[in-house]
Amino acid sequence: MRTFTPDELALCDGRDGRPSYVACDGTVYDVGESFLWRRGRHMAEHEAGRDLTEELAAAPHGADLLELCPVVGVLVAGA
Amino acid sequence: MAKVAREMVEKAGVNVDQLLELLVCNAAAELTTFYYYTILRVNLIGLEGEGVKEIAEVARIEDRNHFEALVPRIYELGGKLPDDMKEFHDMSACKPARLPADPTDVTAMLTVLVEAERCAVRGYTHVCNLTAGKDHRTYDLSLAILNEEIEHESWFSEFLGEGPSGHFMRRGETSPFVSKFLR
Repeated sequence: MRTFTPDELALCDGRDGRPSYVACDGTVYDVGESFLWRRGRHMAEHEAGRDLTEELAAAPHGADLLELCPVVGVLVAGA
Repeated sequence: MAKVAREMVEKAGVNVDQLLELLVCNAAAELTTFYYYTILRVNLIGLEGEGVKEIAEVARIEDRNHFEALVPRIYELGGKLPDDMKEFHDMSACKPARLPADPTDVTAMLTVLVEAERCAVRGYTHVCNLTAGKDHRTYDLSLAILNEEIEHESWFSEFLGEGPSGHFMRRGETSPFVSKFLR
């Protein structure tokens, strides 16, 4: 399983053709194919390339919807 | 733009630009759902499909009403709809409620319908949470829409056998909660 540091994840922001990945509870998901994550943004508030664990806690849905997206790696602490 | 109305919302601590983007995304979801529900409705035929057609039609009309009710609030707060309809479609807060591969599969049709309503329930709950006690007019509007979306969800859920909705379908009226914003 590929590992991502926060800095590496930040490069996967869905802009300018870059992949669109988000992390939650240590797992990194590819949201690039999701209609609701176009251009690396979701519902005006959330951006790809970030650990959304805390933001998801305040969202009107749980991790179950995120888990529909492919897992591409795990998030590890930065250097 | 209602300048003071916007100032009051900003002073209450709401990020108005972010709220506006959310409202436009939700308006896009309503109008696109109206479009996709039109296709679903005309395909609800046969012994099973005809039984669902009337509530699908009510949900379709009420979703259009939600779009109509949201638009004035977007402009009051200084926002606007995109010039490009395609861009507007792609901003939708919910994925397209497309016709299932087998339109004669009424369970598949109901699943599309209930998932669309569940997306809307999540979306308006979120807008209510963001605006409660801060932006009274947007909260009032979002709550009215939420009330109708919850009823839509429960109708379709009931048809899917997930349990009783606890209330009847509309009787000759539409948008009992949102109509005050349409006058």
